Amino acid sequence: MSATAQVKVTRHFNASPERVFDAWLDPQTVGKWLFATPKGQMVRVEVDARAGGKWIIVDRRNGEDVEHSGEYVEIDRPRRLVFTFRVPKYSSLTTEVTVEIEPAASGCDLTLTQTNVPAEYLGSNEKGWTGILVGLAEYLAQYVAEHI
Amino acid sequence: MLRTLATGERNIGELAAPFRMSFAAAAKHVKVLEGAGLVRRRVQGRRHVCRIQPAPLAAADEWLQFYHRLWTEQLDRLDALLGSEDCRATVTSKGKDAKR
Repeated sequence: MSATAQVKVTRHFNASPERVFDAWLDPQTVGKWLFATPKGQMVRVEVDARAGGKWIIVDRRNGEDVEHSGEYVEIDRPRRLVFTFRVPKYSSLTTEVTVEIEPAASGCDLTLTQTNVPAEYLGSNEKGWTGILVGLAEYLAQYVAEHI
Repeated sequence: MLRTLATGERNIGELAAPFRMSFAAAAKHVKVLEGAGLVRRRVQGRRHVCRIQPAPLAAADEWLQFYHRLWTEQLDRLDALLGSEDCRATVTSKGKDAKR
């Protein structure tokens, strides 16, 4: 089944698409906001900004290192960025995040979509979650079909 | 289908009816939902009675809410960071103007 559950967040920025886009890939900038917590300490930020390149952001929270990592899938400055995302400490699930940036009258509009990676890419550990999300996707698709 | 089940138990024929779906198609749907742990089915004579399992749906909803919150927080921070950089840039350029 190709349907997947997704999270979608949109936001307007009073900054150019290029500036917002670069904030995701510039190691100096990204470590200041992405997965940074107010009391945490950013201990590792690595960005290999090319398709297939890896990224890793480690934030130390109460003495515990929380690793966020993944791979870039698509980099099309300043419009579109796609990367995989996992937080091994909390979940064995790998998801895919797509960031789309559209120029607006003042600044730009960003749409972030997170989808779960289809079951065939995952190991057996994820079956439970994937099943649940596939089930949810079926439910959502049906809901949409009924309301259009 | 899940919404129908949320109001009580139904057999497969009853689940198929509102969607003008064949019994076989409805049975296939139910099988997917069963596989996902969202529906449980028991056989009563010739009837296959389906009942919703709310826990996995709640878990999926929680998952979606958790990540929605996470990304909203990230974008809040990015917005704040870009805003503070703007403030610094303004202060710096004002400083330069003052020197002129």
